[in-house]
Amino acid sequence: MSKLNVSVAPHIHSGASTQRIMMDVCIAMLPALLAGAYLFGLQALLVVAVCIAATVVGEFLFNLIAKKKQTIGDFSAVVTGMLLGLNLSTNVPLWQCAMGGLFAILLVKCLFGGLGQNIVNPAIAARVFMLLAFSAVAGGADPIRSIGGVELATGATPLAAETHPSLLTMLVGAHGGAIGETCAIALLLGYVYLVARKVIQWYVPLTFVATVFGLYLVFTGNVQEALFQVLAGGLLLGAIFMATDYVTTPITGRGRVFFCIGAGIITFAIRYWGSYPEGVSIAILCMNLLVPMLERLAKKTPLKGDNFHG
Amino acid sequence: MFSKKRKDISSLHVPHNKNTAGCTPVAMACPKEVLLPMNMHYGAAAIPVVEVGDHVRVGQLIAREDETSISSPVHATISGTVVEIGPLALPNGKETTAIRIESDGKMELDPNVQPPKYPENLDEFLELCRLSGVVGLGGAAFPVWKKLDAARTAEIDTILVNGAECEPYITSDHRMMLDHSDLVADGMYMMKQFIGCKKCVICIESNKADAIALLREKFAGDDSMEVRELNTVYPQGAKQVLLYNVTGKVTMQGQRMANLGVLIINVSSLAKVAYYIRTGMPLVDRIVTVDGSAVAEPKNLIVPIGTRVSALLEEVGTKAEPGKVLIGGPMLGRAVGTLEDPIVKATSAILAMNKKDAKLSEPSACIHCGRCVAVCPMGVDPTTINKATLQEEADPKTRYEILIKAGTRQCIECACCSYVCPAHRPLMEVNKQGYAFARGYEKAQKGGVKA
Repeated sequence: MSKLNVSVAPHIHSGASTQRIMMDVCIAMLPALLAGAYLFGLQALLVVAVCIAATVVGEFLFNLIAKKKQTIGDFSAVVTGMLLGLNLSTNVPLWQCAMGGLFAILLVKCLFGGLGQNIVNPAIAARVFMLLAFSAVAGGADPIRSIGGVELATGATPLAAETHPSLLTMLVGAHGGAIGETCAIALLLGYVYLVARKVIQWYVPLTFVATVFGLYLVFTGNVQEALFQVLAGGLLLGAIFMATDYVTTPITGRGRVFFCIGAGIITFAIRYWGSYPEGVSIAILCMNLLVPMLERLAKKTPLKGDNFHG
Repeated sequence: MFSKKRKDISSLHVPHNKNTAGCTPVAMACPKEVLLPMNMHYGAAAIPVVEVGDHVRVGQLIAREDETSISSPVHATISGTVVEIGPLALPNGKETTAIRIESDGKMELDPNVQPPKYPENLDEFLELCRLSGVVGLGGAAFPVWKKLDAARTAEIDTILVNGAECEPYITSDHRMMLDHSDLVADGMYMMKQFIGCKKCVICIESNKADAIALLREKFAGDDSMEVRELNTVYPQGAKQVLLYNVTGKVTMQGQRMANLGVLIINVSSLAKVAYYIRTGMPLVDRIVTVDGSAVAEPKNLIVPIGTRVSALLEEVGTKAEPGKVLIGGPMLGRAVGTLEDPIVKATSAILAMNKKDAKLSEPSACIHCGRCVAVCPMGVDPTTINKATLQEEADPKTRYEILIKAGTRQCIECACCSYVCPAHRPLMEVNKQGYAFARGYEKAQKGGVKA
C-alpha cells in the first residue's frame, strides 16, 4: 500500500484557478484586439505583442534575479501587457511600448511584491507614465479603415474634436484613439464573456459607465452627448477591464460599486471641467489609491446575534 | 417567525454526487475485529468496565460514561473476546484508550438488551438517552442527552431535526429517513412529548424529494410537525446556517442555541434514540456511505462501530489504488493516514479517491478576487483573517483585533472559502490557526488581569 495523502479539508475544489481567470481576461480582450488590428492595421498587433513580451520577459527576469518562484505561468503578466497594448495607439514607437511594459511589470508590480500586492493597476500606471514621458501616446492614431461601411472619423481622439462623429461610428470604433478602446461592440463582447464566466460582477463596469452617463445627462441635459461620452475615449475599456481588476479594487461587491462611482465622478470632472480630454486612466489610478479607505467603508459585518433579533 | 422570504445565507453549489441515494443499506459481513476508542464523543473519555479476556456480546456495556463531565458510554458492537485495552494515537497527536474486540463470528446479542420502561417524564427520557450511548451522528458527536438536557433550564419552543445532509456523496441520513421513517417520526413525537416543544421541524434539502414526500405523508394533518424543504446549497446542514435559514435566528460562538428556544438534532441520532427506547439496543452500528472515485461499487453499509476502514473498502471493492481516503464528506472529512483507523459513532461516510483526485494544487498568491468573502455564509472576511494570521511578527493586540473584526469567531469551518479560492489557499485551515491564536490571546489577557 503506497502512502495516502493526508491533506486538510476540503478535498474537492471548485476548479477555479488564477491561471484560468487570467486566461479568461485575455480571451475577453481578444475581440477588442482583433477589432483594433482591423481598424488600425497590423501595427496594432505588433504594439500589443511588444507590450506582452516586455511584461512577461520582465517578470521572468525579475523572478530569476530576485531568486523568487517563477510566476509567469499564472498569465497575469500577459494580462498586464495586453491591457497596456490596448491602451496605446499605433503611432507609439515600439521601443516606447517596451519601456512601458517594463515599467508596469517591474516598478508597479514586481517591486511591490508581485501578483496581488501592487497598489495601482500596472497597465494604467504605465499608460500614465508614458503619457507624461512620451508625447506620442496622448495623440492617438487614425484608423486606416472602417467596419461595414460606417463613416470614418479622423483626427486624434474624438473627445478633443470640435464636432462629434456619429454614434454609429463610435459604436464600431472607426475613429481615432488607442488600439483597444475605440470599438465599443468588441468591448461589450468581452464584457458579456467575463460576466458569463463569472470573472467579474455585471454591475461593476455598469456602475462606472452609468455614473459618467448620469452626470453628463444632468449637466448637459443632452442624451446624445451623454451616450457619446460613454462610447468615447477609454471609458468602456477602463470600466470593463481595469475597474474590475481584483488586486487594485475593493474586495466586496459594495466596495467595488463605491470604487466605480468614485471613478465615474473623477472621469466626469476631468472631462467636463478639466483641460485634458481623457480622464479614465487618472480616475482609476486615483481610486486605486483610495481602496484601503473604500474597504473600510464597505466592510462586510460578520453575522451577529444582535443584528437579527427583534 | 417562519417567513419563507428570508434569503438563505448559504449559497455555494457543490456537485452532489449522491450516487448511493438509491442504495438501501445492507449489513456488512461481520468484521474480524473492532477497535473502539473511548473518545468517540465530545467531552470526557468513557471509562472501560471490561478486562482483557472478557467475552462480550452485542449491546453489552464495555465502557461507562465519565460522570464527572459530559461523556457517553460505549457498547460492544460485535460478540467476541476483548483482546486489548490500550493506547491509541489520534491524528491530532493526542492519545486515547481503545478497546479491541476479536469477533467470534456469531454476532450474539447481549441478553440484557431488553426494551426499557417507556419514559414518563423528561428526566426519565434523558436518562434513557444517556444509556443509549447516542451522540450527534452528523459529525459533532455531542452526546444527545447533554444537548437535550438544555430543555431543563431553557424553554424550548422549536426542535429542528437536521436532515439536510449537504455534504456531497453522503446519503446516510437520507437512507435513514427513507428506510426508517417510522423511527424518525417516533423520535419526533418523543421530542414533542418530553421536551414539550410547540413545533418539531424536520429540515431536508430539496434534492431528497422522496424523503420529503414520505415524511409529509406521515405527518399529514398534524400541525405540530413540519417537513421543511430547504434549498440544496452548501453548507445548509451546518447548525448555525440551518438555524438562520429556518428561523432567522443567530447564535454567537459560546452562546447556547437553547437560549433562543431552539434545539437542533441530527435525524439519525434521533432515530437511534427512538430505536433504543423501543428495543433497548444501544448505538452499536450505523449507516456508512462508502463511495469515491476509487470505489468499485458504491454502497450504503450498516457497519458495526469500530470496524476498520480497510474492512469497508474490502466490502465494496476498489477499482483503483486509493490516493486519499476520507472519513466523512469531501468538504469537511478527515483524510486518514492509515486504513486501520476505525469507524466511530459520528462517521457517516468513507470516501476513497483515486490518485488523480487526491492530487493537490499548490497554493499561490491571493489575487484579492473576493470569492471567499462573497461565499461565506457567516459574513466572515477570510482574506483579512488569512493575512493577519500569517503575519506572526505583527503586534499581538493589533492582530487579535483584526482577527475578531474580520469574524474569526463566527467561522463555522464549512470550507466554502477554501473550496472557491482560485489561488488554492487553505483559508479555512488558516482561520483555525487564527482562531486558536485569538483564544490564546484572550486567555493570556485574562490571566494578566488577575496577576
